[in-house]
Amino acid sequence: MTAQTDAPQVWVPPTWDEVVREHADRVYRLAYRLSGNRADAEDLTQETFVRVFRSLAEYTPGTFEGWLHRITTNLFLDMVRRRQRIRFDALPEDAGDRLASREAGPEQAYEQMNLDPEIQRALDELPADFRVAVVLCDLEQLSYEEIAATLQIKVGTVRSRIHRGRVLLRQALAHRAPGLRPEEQADTEAVMRR
Amino acid sequence: MMDGLMKDAHLSDEAVAAFADGVLRGHARERAHRHTTGCPECAHAVAVQREAVWALRAAPAPALPTALLDRLREVPLTTPIQSVTTALADDGTTMFAAFGVTPAAAFVPAAPHAANRSWHLRPLVITTAAVAAASVLTVGSASAAGQNRTVEPVTQQVVSRDAGTAVPAP
Repeated sequence: MTAQTDAPQVWVPPTWDEVVREHADRVYRLAYRLSGNRADAEDLTQETFVRVFRSLAEYTPGTFEGWLHRITTNLFLDMVRRRQRIRFDALPEDAGDRLASREAGPEQAYEQMNLDPEIQRALDELPADFRVAVVLCDLEQLSYEEIAATLQIKVGTVRSRIHRGRVLLRQALAHRAPGLRPEEQADTEAVMRR
Repeated sequence: MMDGLMKDAHLSDEAVAAFADGVLRGHARERAHRHTTGCPECAHAVAVQREAVWALRAAPAPALPTALLDRLREVPLTTPIQSVTTALADDGTTMFAAFGVTPAAAFVPAAPHAANRSWHLRPLVITTAAVAAASVLTVGSASAAGQNRTVEPVTQQVVSRDAGTAVPAP
């Protein structure tokens, strides 16, 4: 506890602008992968940063990304549960797009050109728990242990959700098979990550 | 008989995922390797896992909308600040959480208004003093971003003098 702001500090807290610049892309990407649409991704991202702002004082160095993952993921799961409760399925499929932002900037055109709608759709069709596990593992490249900690579930559960999620995903993309050839023998030892 | 069955048992789903990800170690890894070499079914299951990962990673990441980035930068202005201990940088351009530092007087919370946890609403329940301080921040953040623009959330507030609180404009 130092009372002096100008005392030598081991760690200088980031400014808000630095926090946003460093982490906004990652949070938005995760939110988009989880929610599958702009409007929800924007809301999730904004709410994540609001929570971060409110509890910045509790932040300790070194845990920021895990912290962001946890907040974003839990907000998403809360959102899914809330919608299940109020039977959101009455909403037409394109509701997300229609409710979505406010300003269509050049980056939206870019996004629409570059996002693979087929893959995102396949992802969207996964049950939320599977989707979260697959996105955190395969896109955010968290370890099983990190995912278990984020979701507060067992590592075995993480593995089986990832397995099941990928199987469903692969089925949904079955017609793309020519582009996804199994490379059995030669690749068996390949390390996908780490 | 039983031993033979166990030895040739298919990989569990968990093992298939972990083997595909290359995170099995030691004996488990050897067994998975040996088994998939002789079992097309499990080899296929491993391939399916990898194909799903490749498909996912082939999808480019969505770009952060610039309007959202602006809103995130303004979170300190649009978020109730009663529970946040913050301080202004010496030059007044940035605000950061204060760690063991006496909070800036202007950011002492408005006690009567508890946090509104509603999802979409971003209530602006702040004291008159905080409005003044937030205006300073507004100037600061705008200049920090190198942009000439006004920040809506503050200007949309109507300050009720007797109550000393801000309420959203109709």
